[in-house]
This record gives sequence, C-alpha cells and structure tokens, in this order.
Amino acid sequence: MSKDDLILRKERQLQVELGQQRSNPLAHVFDNLVNFCRSRSLFMLHYCTGCGAIELPPAMTSRFDMERLGIQPMVTPRQADILLITGYVSIKTLKRIILTYEQMPAPKYVIGICSCTVNGGMYWQSYATAKVLKHYLPVDVYIAGCMPRPEAVIEGLQDLMEDIKSGRANSWKKYFHNYDYYLGNQQQLFGEDWQTPTDIIAEARHYDLLTEQTLGEHTALLEKHQKPLEALEMRLQGQKQPL
Amino acid sequence: MRPENYQAINQPPSNEFELNFGPNHPGIEGNYAFRVKLNGDEVTAARADAGYLHRGFEKLMEGRLWIQNIALVPRICVPDPVPMEVCYSLAIEELCGLEVPVRAQWIRVMQLEMSRLAAHLFAFGGHAATTGMYTPMFWGVADRDLILDRFEELTGGRVYSIYNIPGGVRREVPDGFLERLSNLLDYLESRLPDYDSLFFTNQVFIRRARDVGTMTQEQALKWGVTGPPLRATGLEFDVRRDDPYLVYEQIDFDIPTEPGGDALSRNLVRRAELLQSIRILRQVIARLPTLKGPVRCPIPNPLAWNVPAGESYTRVESSKGELAYYVVSTGGDKPYRVHVRGPSAMHAVQVLEKLAVGARLEDIAQIMFSLDACPPEVDR
Amino acid sequence: MSKELNLWLDKLLNDIENVKVERKSSRRIRIDVESDALPALLELLQGHASYVHLSAISCVDWVDAGEFELVYHVWSYETRSLVSAHTRIPREPGIYLSIYDLYEPAGFFERDIHEMFGVYFEGSPDMEKFILTEWNGPPPMRKEFDSEAFVNQTFEFEDYRPQWLQDIEEEGGGITTRPEDVR
Repeated sequence: MSKDDLILRKERQLQVELGQQRSNPLAHVFDNLVNFCRSRSLFMLHYCTGCGAIELPPAMTSRFDMERLGIQPMVTPRQADILLITGYVSIKTLKRIILTYEQMPAPKYVIGICSCTVNGGMYWQSYATAKVLKHYLPVDVYIAGCMPRPEAVIEGLQDLMEDIKSGRANSWKKYFHNYDYYLGNQQQLFGEDWQTPTDIIAEARHYDLLTEQTLGEHTALLEKHQKPLEALEMRLQGQKQPL
Repeated sequence: MRPENYQAINQPPSNEFELNFGPNHPGIEGNYAFRVKLNGDEVTAARADAGYLHRGFEKLMEGRLWIQNIALVPRICVPDPVPMEVCYSLAIEELCGLEVPVRAQWIRVMQLEMSRLAAHLFAFGGHAATTGMYTPMFWGVADRDLILDRFEELTGGRVYSIYNIPGGVRREVPDGFLERLSNLLDYLESRLPDYDSLFFTNQVFIRRARDVGTMTQEQALKWGVTGPPLRATGLEFDVRRDDPYLVYEQIDFDIPTEPGGDALSRNLVRRAELLQSIRILRQVIARLPTLKGPVRCPIPNPLAWNVPAGESYTRVESSKGELAYYVVSTGGDKPYRVHVRGPSAMHAVQVLEKLAVGARLEDIAQIMFSLDACPPEVDR
Repeated sequence: MSKELNLWLDKLLNDIENVKVERKSSRRIRIDVESDALPALLELLQGHASYVHLSAISCVDWVDAGEFELVYHVWSYETRSLVSAHTRIPREPGIYLSIYDLYEPAGFFERDIHEMFGVYFEGSPDMEKFILTEWNGPPPMRKEFDSEAFVNQTFEFEDYRPQWLQDIEEEGGGITTRPEDVR
C-alpha cells in the first residue's frame, strides 16, 4: 500500500474513535463515490482579482491544460464549485467576493493564489488591501508564489482534488460553524451595518450546521441594522449624445 | 380597485434599464466596473467605476528605498511590466547623472520589444474573445507563452522580471539566447499567415469590428489619446521617435498608421506594430554580439543610496500608449514623490465613457479591449 | 531655448515678472509661475505655441512649507518638446482653478488629485470619488497619513511559527531580535 493510503487509513481509524465515522467502510460507499465524482468535475468561478490573473489563461489554455483534469471556467457563481482568488484583494473587491462566495451553493471551495492572500505579501503596508484572507472567508488551499507558475497552480488544484476525494475539504462548513467570527472581521472593515442579501443563519439552521459559535454579538448587529427593501431607481442621467 | 384609489406610478418605460458591467467580465483584463444605461440594445449613458485594484502604489513607493521600488514597479501594469521598470530606472539615472553602458541599453531595447510582442499577442487574443472567437485567444496566449519562456531564460521570471536596475541590467545575456530568440521570431513570422486567415482578414471579424468605437483625429487629440488608438486615426506619433530614449535613434523602424479610427483599425495597427517589433529585434540580435563591455555601471551601496535632489519626467512608449513617471527626490534614500501616468488613465475613463454612448451593448467589451484599457494602471 | 519656444513667446515670458524659465535638456523646459498666472500661461502655450497635449498633472505635498506644488506637463507635437509648468498653492484651503476647458484630460487628473490629496478644483466637471469610493479616512497621499500605522491598527497579521521554530523554542532558543526593531 502506498504512503498516502496508510495515512488515510490512520485518519479513518482516528475518526472512528472520535465517533465521526462508522467502522464499516462499506457504510460510506456512496459518500466516497460522490466525493470521487465531485473531485473530477469542478467548475471554477473565473473571478480574477489581482495580479495573478495573468497566469490563469496559460493554465486554462492548451499549454498547461487544466481542462484535462476536469476543471472548467464558469461565469456565474450559482453554478460554480471553486472560487479562485488570484492575487491580492482590495477592500472594495473583498465586499464583492464575500457576496459572491455566499451566493455559491455548497459544497464550495476557496483557493487563495499568490502570497498576498497568505499574509499580506508585497503590499503589506498598503491601506487598501486585505492582509489575511482566511480571516474573512474560509480557505481550503493556498498556492504561494509571486506569481506562481501555471504548473504550480495545477499542482495546487490537484491537491484540492485529493482533499475532496478523501473528504477533508470541508471549509464551507466552517463558515456556517463560525459565522460570528467571520462576520466580526468583515464588520471591522466595512462598518457595523454590513449586510449581505444571503441569510447565512437561516441556511445554517436549515442544513443543521448551527453551532454555538454561529450566533454572537456580531450577528446581533445584523438585526439591529436591518434595512427595508427599497425600490430600485435609475441613477445615471443622460440622453443619447451625438459623437 | 376603486377608481378614486388609483394613483399612477411614474415608472420608466420597460425598454430602459441600467446594467452594471460588473467588476469581473470578459471585456477587461482585471477588475473594472462600468455602469451603462440602456435603451433596448443601445447605450444612452455610461459611467466608469474603478478602484477594485487599488493598492496605493504611490504611497507605498514613498516608504521604500530606491532599489526596493524596482520590485514594486512592474506590478503596476500586469500584461506589460517591462516599460515600467525601464521608465523608473531612466528617471533615477537622469537624477543621478548615471551613464548606462551601451550594451545594457541594447539589452533594454530587446526586453522592451519582447514585452511589446507579448502584450500585443495578448491584446489580439482578448479582442477576439470579446467577439466570440476563442481560437485566436488560445493561439495568442500559447504564442505569448513562448516569449515568456525566453523571458524566464533571460531574467529568471516569467512575468515580473525585475531585471532592470538604475545603471543597467543585472546579468549578462545567457549563451545561445540570441539564437533561440531568433528562432522564436522566425516561428512567429511563420504563424502570421494563419492569424491572418483566421482573424485579421476574416470577414466575420471585420464586419463585427468596423465602425465600432470610431473617433476622429481631432477627437483623439482633444481627449489626450496616445499609442495605438492615436495611430489608428492617422497621426504618426511615437515616443520612441519623437522623444527618443535609450538607443532608438540608431534603430531603423517605421510607425504604422491607419486612417479608420475604429476598433478594426486599432487591431490592424497592433498587427503592423508586431511586425515592426520583430524587425527591431532582428537588428538588436545582429548588433549585440559586436558590443563588448559591462552590463551595468557602478552604483553606490543600494541600501544606503542618497539620490541627489531634483525632479525628472521620463516618458516611454509602452504597448498601450505613452507612459510617464514624475520622480521627485529631496536627497534622501527614499523617493519623495513618484507619480505614475499610465496610458490607460486616459483611455479607460474619459474616452471609454464618451465612445460607449451610442454603441450597442455587445460592442462595449470590444471597445474596452480595443482601447487596451488596463485597470491596474488606472487604479495604481 | 529659443529654438523650441517661439521667439516672441520667449520675449513675452521674459518680460512678465514672476515667470522663471529654465531649459533642462534639449526637450525639457521647466517654468515656475505664480498660481494666478498659470491658466493664462497654459492658454498661451496651447494656442500660440502648439502645446496641445496635456501629458499629466502631478501634485507634490511639501508639508514643511505648507504648500502643494502642482506641475502641469504639456507636450507639443510640432516642436517636440515638453514644458513642465510648476506652481504652488497654499495647503489650507487647497483650492485651485480647473483647466478642463483648455485641456480635456485634466478632468481625470484633477479628480485623482482631489481624491488623493484633497485639493479642490473649481470648475471641474466631475469631483466625485473615483477610486476610493469606500474609503472614509483622510486623503491618503498627504504626508501626515502614515499607511503602516493605519495597517497595524486595522489589520492583524498571521504569526509565522513553523515546526522547526517551535522545536527550537522548546529547547529554550528562539528569535531574539524582531525585524521591526531593526528597521
């Protein structure tokens, strides 16, 4: 047996002892099949945030083909699995990324490419970029580099595929488990009245992922600053101007 | 409902709506939002919204040493980073009065032209993708990758090379590099007929791109347009010829222009510039082996280097237009002020808003890419 | 210098007081002028000396002198030379005239300087925030704004403690000098 299989075996034994898995391996046949299929057919949301976006077309096109691994770009978050954050995230973009992340249906995975998502990177002194991405969103895989080669990106994606296949990539559950912590960090940047259209707490209740860390002092502010729905109105003035 | 309770609500007609071309969309290489007000298919008002890629470069540069900024500077323009490094180095050399050795100047010209080739290949591909033709995009990105291989061999980095420093370049050109570059240029020239038949002379593309985003020469001069969009209106202006820097005065090249002023003309100007860049590179390859000498001049200890006080405004022709740096020094070891004037600052904001009015919805992405608007340069 | 600028313009500028013309190299000319005379100078340059292309407007913050220095770089396609017109305005209240009706590219630069430095340009068509739409602090490019202090206040960095460092610390060693103390 290979070394990876031994590690997985030990992990499974540990999980059985902790009561998280049943000891009969046949009990999880369906889960394993679903995880295997999921890992082989991932849709990546093409949200290129920063510098690293320039190394993504080479990774997607014919030279370092990502499609042979089953990963294709997708334009809408509602049908995507992976949110690729390619590079530093400015505060303005971070708002949009959180909105996008919450729109994606579970299970969803986040990959942080480039060193700026890890600990600030080259712009650590900048007043306009977010430093540590995992304070605002749960991240599955980091790919360090400035910027990483397309081969490094593909290796990171393969790591993610291995994680999904073995059932370890569960960071989307962490968002529901610790929503108060993430919301607190988001509110610190965006102000106390930060709200998204997605109701995370109701979703957590529905999928039975509510823990005692989901609600807290920060989520209480959500009810306090509830804004009523107002009619959308057009803001751009102007008629057709001759050139 | 009783007639006396009826109150008419003033609503806009149903064919008018506002669309947010959100931060992430295929018409741009980066994040740039563009709000348009549409009447059916036609744009009646437009407003650009930038700031998604803002890092505060000018503030960051004031807090780092002169030599540390060389690592920051290429990141301002992501597809075409070499002119940024060269422009910054030229500004410091002008302030210090450094004399760059001749061999280093020719190597810099070689890098600039290679970067211009890579950026133009990426721009074709992007423009084709906005009209729905994805094959030229795949070809463009693949051919650009071969140029990035040459960059990696020369400088060590595919995209951000950090190879130019004030005083010259860092290292000598590797053995056999010029031969491999020459083979690459032959390969690119042999690919052009394929590109022509698929893309440049393809009637589908020509009918899509003709008369899209037209501007006249007077409008271009009034709006401050530079680079390929200005040459596409017929004016022959190039910083390499009119405000020469490095050794461009000794190199033989033409400045292609087209009379149309629309997206098709800009594309054809870029194709012609591709051929001119190959021509310049061949002259450089022929000339470099005959020049001997160092590749950089001695500079004081970079970690404790006080650049003399003064200011300097250097201009360089990047693949998008005129790029300029205004550097102010007060005699310290950090810059006092660095102002970056990117070409997209004009193209992506005011010109785009004016050209989008009256265009159709499906042409907006094409106009954005044909003007080669680069959001990291606008936001800095 | 008289090859680049027209002869009569040269004479005119030398006659006006408070205008200092200096040629720095064959294609670069520097003019220092009072702030109330600048729009007239630019109009002269544009109309009579063919300097039709506004390359950039830069702003430099001289905190110790209490002034902003505005630099207007204009280029001529015919004479192929660049004129940088320098002028100073007091830091308080930081208001100046806009030259949008002379040069259209000024709209972008004035909007940018307004956002980053807080200088208000009267007559500019658009002073709305462009890049820093979600920024509530002081104009960030002013010298009194310290970016690093702001970052240390608002964000938290990850503390980097890999396994080899933890092993060393278990044996009693560790980092003695932090990088922040040396800088």
